Amino acid sequence: MKLLTKTSLNFISASVIFFLVGSVAVYLSVRNIIAEDLQNRLFQQQKQFFDNADQNKLSDLTSKLVFIQKTDKEIDYSFSDTVLIVNDSYILYRKLDFSYLIDKQYYNVSILNNQSQSDSLIKKIVIMNVGFALLFFLILFFVNRHSIKSALSVFYSTISKLEDFELSKLQTLSLETAEVQEIKKLNEVFQEMATQIYNDFEAQKEYTENVSHELQTPLAIISSKVDELMQSDNLSKEQMEQLALLLETTNRLSKINQALIFLTKIDNRFYTQGSTFSLNDLIKEKLQIFDAAIQEKKLKLELDLLDITHINMNPYLAETLIINLIKNAIIHNTSGGVLRIQLSNNALSISNSGSPLSFPEKDIFKRFTRSENSKKNLGIGLSIVQRICELYTFKIAYTFGSEHQFKIIFKK
Amino acid sequence: MLKKHNILVVEDELELAKSTISSLLENGFLPFHAKNLKSARKLLKKEKFTAVLLDLGLPDGDGISLIKEIKNTKIEIGLIIVSAKDSLEKKVQGLELGADDYLTKPFFFSELNARLKSVIRRLNLEDNQQLTINEITLFPEEMRTLIHGKIVDLTGKEFGLLLYFFSNPNRVISKTTLGEFMSSSYADYGFTDDVVYTHIKNLKKKITNSGGDDYIKNVYGVGYKFTVE
Repeated sequence: MKLLTKTSLNFISASVIFFLVGSVAVYLSVRNIIAEDLQNRLFQQQKQFFDNADQNKLSDLTSKLVFIQKTDKEIDYSFSDTVLIVNDSYILYRKLDFSYLIDKQYYNVSILNNQSQSDSLIKKIVIMNVGFALLFFLILFFVNRHSIKSALSVFYSTISKLEDFELSKLQTLSLETAEVQEIKKLNEVFQEMATQIYNDFEAQKEYTENVSHELQTPLAIISSKVDELMQSDNLSKEQMEQLALLLETTNRLSKINQALIFLTKIDNRFYTQGSTFSLNDLIKEKLQIFDAAIQEKKLKLELDLLDITHINMNPYLAETLIINLIKNAIIHNTSGGVLRIQLSNNALSISNSGSPLSFPEKDIFKRFTRSENSKKNLGIGLSIVQRICELYTFKIAYTFGSEHQFKIIFKK
Repeated sequence: MLKKHNILVVEDELELAKSTISSLLENGFLPFHAKNLKSARKLLKKEKFTAVLLDLGLPDGDGISLIKEIKNTKIEIGLIIVSAKDSLEKKVQGLELGADDYLTKPFFFSELNARLKSVIRRLNLEDNQQLTINEITLFPEEMRTLIHGKIVDLTGKEFGLLLYFFSNPNRVISKTTLGEFMSSSYADYGFTDDVVYTHIKNLKKKITNSGGDDYIKNVYGVGYKFTVE
């Protein structure tokens, strides 16, 4: 829920409750006042009746709104509502009944007073009240909304700038200066945080480069010395084999180092600059690298590039993703097996007919997870694939039915 | 090789520099060593170099600055960056400034030889258009191969391999090194042994079928050697 909606809703709900309670209260109090007023008028008329009754005959006092009846006992005065039909229309009256004693005879006197006028008065007052209140709330609502909106404009601009903020674009965060103290403070905090993050990012970048440098250089020395030794004459088979193993191991160490640095770089969002290109072309292009390997293993390549899928991502990462998946499907394939690549409707699936996994399925994307018969692998390729998918919020799933299948569902 | 090429090795790791220099000597180059930017500048003023092998992380600064200086002199010098910094930005930056190639440490000397010779070939196109070892002649620019004067049809990979062996005659090249040469990135690791084997098998067959000698010898099953008398 938006902040503005939230405050507006709060305002509206508070107003509605206030307004309902207020209207009922106004109605009740106005009605009370008018009823009291009506009663006072009836009492006045009663007093008049008493004054006149002393001087005149009772029958003379009877009128359209005064009724007199003989009765045998005294009654207490009482108020009640009554309806008279005047000219075929019902009119509501307020009635005062009381007893009058004259010549030892009790009379029951009823005095009526038209109530419909006061009713319409109540109506008018209540309507006027409700109308003004409504108008008042409406004006208040819009003024309030507008003022909150303008006060928050800097806040919203801050949000959109933070949304667009990308570390690797080498830009600094520049936020508007706000009038509102709290928002000003918020912007200052964000600005400081952004600078801090940026500095950390730079330091991290330098660190990974340094680690790479510090490890690769000694490895370079080892491998250069081994390479030199290998060139000497009169080496026995065993010596040569050991030197080759040394070279191979050093190379492996260096590759692990490179792969880990690459993973760190993905995690630190080094590769963010993207471009749009056709995935179909990329797959076809990268497959050429594996021509020899596919031939060597006598794999049956089934290429099903149904839809032309354009994708927006970093080309280097896309390349790595495709290469790693294809390579994985070739390495773990059985000789003469099937390598199936399907690209359709924004989903890419790469399947191979290798033998079942020798480790739990859930570990497949974990670093350094290797099957028993492929010890030569680094065991990092699929971790890299997973990280790249995570970076672009692609869904990747591994399933094993009759074939191993990796399926990536691209967003949108 | 008729005249010896002067090569400047700018490298602060002494042991690595030593090995590089002895490998260059073996391959008929005349290497000079500079352990920092300052001595590199001094040597560049004094001597005429065909190529420079440049490390980027030097004690007195970034090697990148030297690329600019060399390019500003307008003298044609081949420039190969040899760096442990495997960062895409550095690579792009270096190549944009005019470096001819980029090698990531650790590298193999046979790889360095191949790259260095290729850079030198590109610099002197007119007098070095073809490479000949006995009955085999290679035209690197056209990727054409002649054996006994007849064209042999090699694939791109096979031609690349043969050129690699041409740059490293009589040198033991381990399977690891060849695998590294055949792969495009570390992602290919552990994958190339079979590929190397297949390509070499095919290459050998094509050479001998065309009447060429079997130059590519297997060394104890751990590597290969292009043997030339």
